[in-house]
Amino acid sequence: MRLGLCALILAGFAAAQDFPPGSRAPSIEYFPPEITTVYRGHAKPVQLQFRIASGFHINSNRPKQEYLKKTELKLDAPTDIAILKVTYPAGEDRSFPFSPDEKLSVYTGDFAVAVSVRPLKTVLPTKYAVHGTLKYQACDNAACYPPKQMPVSFEIKVVKDPNANKRRNPAQSPHAHR
Amino acid sequence: MKRDPIILIVVAVVISLMLVFGIQKTRHSQPLQGGAGKLQGQPAPDFSLASLDGKTLKLSDFHGKAVLLNFWATWCEPCKIEMPWFIDLQKKYGAQGFQVLGVAMDDASPSDIADFAKKMGVNYPIVIGKEAVGDQYGGLPYLPSTFYIDRDGKVIERVFGLRSRSEIESNIQKAMGSQGQVAQK
Repeated sequence: MRLGLCALILAGFAAAQDFPPGSRAPSIEYFPPEITTVYRGHAKPVQLQFRIASGFHINSNRPKQEYLKKTELKLDAPTDIAILKVTYPAGEDRSFPFSPDEKLSVYTGDFAVAVSVRPLKTVLPTKYAVHGTLKYQACDNAACYPPKQMPVSFEIKVVKDPNANKRRNPAQSPHAHR
Repeated sequence: MKRDPIILIVVAVVISLMLVFGIQKTRHSQPLQGGAGKLQGQPAPDFSLASLDGKTLKLSDFHGKAVLLNFWATWCEPCKIEMPWFIDLQKKYGAQGFQVLGVAMDDASPSDIADFAKKMGVNYPIVIGKEAVGDQYGGLPYLPSTFYIDRDGKVIERVFGLRSRSEIESNIQKAMGSQGQVAQK
């Protein structure tokens, strides 16, 4: 009896999740990271977390087919804050009901994009906001939605490198007169 | 008859969850289809768009034919699946007064679209779409979106998303035969 009830609950949830293709708009959530502290002149990665609603997928940064729109993060950093590198996760090779014989490189569920930031040595130590957009194009199992751009931003706190003075003044080094 | 209260609570929770999700599902499923539903049975809005070979094509140029009007894009994988079916169906029914017309709702250049269409072996005209034309058809929140137009130029069916080849063929037959049905009435 209890097993039957569990089955009923699962069936209820399955029915609730079974949205007909194309019946709801795709949604991607962005979870801004906590403020990242970065030393002046040093690079540090910042992880940007995204979540794609269940039932949808977006192309990875390296889709297998040339005509597909890749997921891409475009950032506009303040002067003196350099964006060194944007690292995308590898796509998941998946086939879908609309094309069972073809594998697409996609993101589903949660994924993170790593952004390597480096404040210049001369930048004023304070908080800086980096703004940008995530460009993506989503599909479900039977339809595709026009390419979209999602606003993205995160903050970094630039602080002085505590070792910077030591390096700048070799006379203080015990090995300076070796 | 003695009833376990836990069972009753679980049943009540399941029913409530199904109701909540059902209502959400209904709410979410309505706006995406835009105003396309209003077009059914109405004259298909005419448009004039540039084709891939540089000519200007009007929908009304095909008056008297049953038309499958397919909005698609190069970035739409499900759209790619339908194309070979459209090619076959154009061959099969073309002589009986059937015409597929593709509308590329794409931000790719016309030459890229033409290149894509050539690779797919498309044997029907493709025009470069405009958002305003999509709006005329009730807005196109997603692709593929296909409208079946009868020989009188009326929309008899609109379909969103990828459907089976048999469903497509059945709608084509409906579009081709509807004039006959009207005439018999």
